[in-house]
Parts: sequence; structure tokens; C-alpha cells
Amino acid sequence: MSETILKATNVSKIYGQHKALDKVSIEIKRGMIYGLIGENGAGKSTFMRMVMGLIKIDEGNIELFGETGSRGLQQARRKMGQSIETPALYPELTARENLQVQAANGGVSNREIDDLLRLMNLSHTGKKKTKNFSLGMRQRLAIASTLITNPELLILDEPINGLDPSGIVEMREIIQRLVTERGITVLLSSHILDELSQIATHYGILHNGKIINELSKEELARETRQYIELETTEVQKTVVVLDELGIKDYVVVNSSEINIFEKLDDVAAINRTLVLAGVNISRIGTTRQKLEDYFLQLTGGNTHA
Amino acid sequence: MLNLLTAERIKLLRSKKLWIVISILILLPIYQVVNSKISVNYGSDLVQAKDTVINGATGILMMEKNGFTILFVICAFISFFIGEEFQNGTIRNALSLGRSRTHYYLSKLVTASLLSLVGVIIMTILGVIGFSVVFGFGEVAGITNYLSYATKTFGTLYLLILANVSIYVMIGFLTKNIGISLVWSFLYTIMTAFVPPVFLQTEHFKHVTFWFTETFLNYSDFASPVDIARFPEMVLVSIITIMLSLGLGILFFNRTDIK
Repeated sequence: MSETILKATNVSKIYGQHKALDKVSIEIKRGMIYGLIGENGAGKSTFMRMVMGLIKIDEGNIELFGETGSRGLQQARRKMGQSIETPALYPELTARENLQVQAANGGVSNREIDDLLRLMNLSHTGKKKTKNFSLGMRQRLAIASTLITNPELLILDEPINGLDPSGIVEMREIIQRLVTERGITVLLSSHILDELSQIATHYGILHNGKIINELSKEELARETRQYIELETTEVQKTVVVLDELGIKDYVVVNSSEINIFEKLDDVAAINRTLVLAGVNISRIGTTRQKLEDYFLQLTGGNTHA
Repeated sequence: MLNLLTAERIKLLRSKKLWIVISILILLPIYQVVNSKISVNYGSDLVQAKDTVINGATGILMMEKNGFTILFVICAFISFFIGEEFQNGTIRNALSLGRSRTHYYLSKLVTASLLSLVGVIIMTILGVIGFSVVFGFGEVAGITNYLSYATKTFGTLYLLILANVSIYVMIGFLTKNIGISLVWSFLYTIMTAFVPPVFLQTEHFKHVTFWFTETFLNYSDFASPVDIARFPEMVLVSIITIMLSLGLGILFFNRTDIK
């Protein structure tokens, strides 16, 4: 079984009367890309700050790399890198100088700087100060900065926020490369489920400070997969015909609706067979529950995700 | 701690703030030498009790002569130096690597103290050289062992400045914001310069006047035997101020949430 890298148990954070996090429990194992999804203000950044020791935990406890005590956690955090909220950089310094500062903070040599600049496609920036960088470049430099200490767990808060489509694709590729080439475990957050779905292996859905659902990539795919939606007044008769067609993966939703999860390209043929068999079909077509709809359904639909 | 100091050195050497502070502390003695020369040329006499620095020997008192300017320049520097770490979010980079908050606080204090030391050394050397060139090295009235006097005076004056540096660092960490830190640091500097002497007018609180380092910095004549005799008291008040501000600053910083 994979090693547990991060385990949060019933973690809460209270600001005055407001519970920013309410008994959140999350377990991240080595090799996972764990996507934390939630609307703005759901508590994603608060959770990440807690993990990094930037804010105090009011209830519950956090275990990092098997360590729990304050000294142990402090040691464990040296194996971690973070970019929480906006890229935290020195605007008056160049990309190289920013990395030199972080290398000094981490007590590591400057040897990897050239490789990281190349990896993040920032080698060409030379003497350009980071205040003159585009948001995408700053995001990439912030990630490079987190990598200088060779972390085993990377925490990225909204890494695609504000990026243009090409920037989003680039960021996704970078994260995937880090996981495959460097074996880094990643905890990343976003309020766009669709974006996370293209990269994460596991998901935690955070709503009003609570984890309301945790699922794997496969489970999410199952929950949101494409299917043929069929409406009929004769469900029994339809089921017989579907069996004759060799269709096994279907669900009778109610007395008038059946969802078919296979032969998605054969809608016309299925329709023809059913009609020829005398089944009264009122509607048939392929449909897909969008990820955002799924998210809204989970969160009660009254939030903007 | 050494790693954090290395990071501070990289940031500082590439920062405009350092060069602005050093430039001010270089230009100030040069301007004052020229200004004193012009005054003398127009028939004024330099008087030690009023002008503080009148020749090369009294150049050691450049910190006394420019006490207010030095404090304002340093408090502005510290407000930016600490405030921008919070405002840029870069403080997270060091702290999330498991660095101790106490070490982080101390690294900022040590860096600010060293910069102040370098600044006042440059200013004093330029003051001694500049006034020596124009007015001759001369002497400090009543001082027989100049080297010992100069060392003690410089050390005491620097400690008085250092006490304020420690307060500014504490304010920087408490406010976590450049603008608010600037306002509170300026207010502290002005208030502790002008309010403590008010206690002198009262019967029961006279002694409170000398609980503040700025009282000594602004109202003492470091060339007068009476005030030279108070050097140990000045050192004590400075050390107590540093210890108190350091303790409070670290205590609050360790409890604060980093956004």
C-alpha cells in the first residue's frame, strides 16, 4: 500500500463566529494528484495554509510524512513546496535571483537553478525583473521556486487562475511532467472542476468548509459519463428489446426513463429496433452530465463554481 | 538562521532600498560639512553645544547630530523591508519550508541592525574625515583619551539607535503592512522624542523621561562630562528596550496567522 504523505483528521479553523473549515479529513497517498474543489471562500486556501503551518489549527490534527508533533511537522515541511494564492515573488528581482533566494531559504545549493529555468521555459528571461513578467510566467516561476528544494509534496493553490487557454494547457503539462518525471505528489485546488478533471487522480469537494464528497478519477468519470437517455411509456418492453440487442450496461431510472451506457454511437440503430419492436419512444438521445452540473448538484446548486 | 541571513543578503544587495539608505547617509555628512563651512565663511562660529560637530574629533558625534534623520530613514527602510514580505506573500516561502518563526524574526532584526551599523559607520567616518579636512581634527574639550571616548560614545549612540531599530522591527511584524508600519513607526519616533520631556514637568513621573532611548539621543550632549557619566544608564535603557521589543515581537509573530 502507498505511503500516506498527508493525513488531516477533523481539522477545523474558526474566525470569530465563522467556521472556515469544519472537521475536514483528507488522506493523500504518495503519487496522487489530489484536486481540492470548491467555490471561492469554501476553505481551500485555509486548508492549504494550515498544512503549511502558516495558520494555527483550532481543532483536529495534521500528519505529514508520518510526523505529528510540532517539531516533526516542521521537519516534514522541508519536504514540501507551496504556491498558495498569488505567486509569491520578489518583483524587483530576476527569475534567477528569486530562485537563489528560495535556495538560500531552503539551505540548498544553486545547482538546479538552470535546470528549473529550462523546465519552466524561463531561461530566456535574463535580467528581466519579475514585476514585468506575465501572470503565466510568474506562475511558472512560483512553481520553479517551490521545486528548488526537491519537494516530495507540492501544494498548488489555483495554479491556473487567471491564465489564458494556452497558459492553462502549459500549466497542466508542467504538473503532469512533475508527477511522472520527478515522482512528486500534488495537492492542488481549483474552483473549476472541468480543469481539475483533466489532471487530478483523486478529488475532494469542499463546500462551506466541509468535505462533502471524496472520489477517485474513475468514480468521477462514472458519475459524469456520457449515456443514452431514453424516455418511454413501456419500460418492460424496452428492457426486453435492449437484452435482445445484447446491451447490458443500462439503468432503469424510473417508470419512464432508462439510461444506457454503451453503444453510444448506435443511437439511431437502437431507436429503429425499438420502433420496429412496437415500443413507444417519446425521446432518445445522448447526453452527458457536465462536471460543473455535477458539482452544482453536490453543493446544492446555489453556488457559483 | 544562517540560511535565512544568506537569503536576506541576496534580497538586500539587489534592492534599491539599501542603496537609497546608504546614499542618504553618505550625502548627509558631506552636506553638513559644506553647510558648516558656508556658515563659518559668513562669519558664524561653530559651537559644540549647539552644532554638536565642529571638527574632526567631534565627528564621532554624527549620530547625535543626525539622530532624527537616521531614525526616520531606518524606520522607513524597515517598514518596507518587513511589510513587503507580508504584502508580496514571500514570507510564506521561508516559513512553509519549516523555518522557525523566531529565526525568521531574528534574521530580519540582525539584517536591519547590520544595515544600520554600516550606515552609521559610513556616516561617522565621512563626518570625521570631512570636518577634519575643512576644520582640522582638533579635539573634544576635556577628553584626554580620545580613542576610548570615541569607542564608548559610538557604541552608546549605536545602542540607542539599535533600540529603536528593534522597536521598528516589532512594529513591522505586528502591522504586517508597509503603510501602517510607516505611520506607527513615525508616530513612535515623534512621540518618544517629544512626550517624555513632558514628564520632567511633573513631580512624581520625572524618572519616566529617561525610560526612553530617544530622550538620551535628543536631549544629551555626548561631549559633556555630565552626560558621558550617564552612558551606563543609556546602555541599560537600550538593552531593556531591545529585550522587551524582541520578546513581544517574537511572541506575537509566533501567534499570528500568515495570510
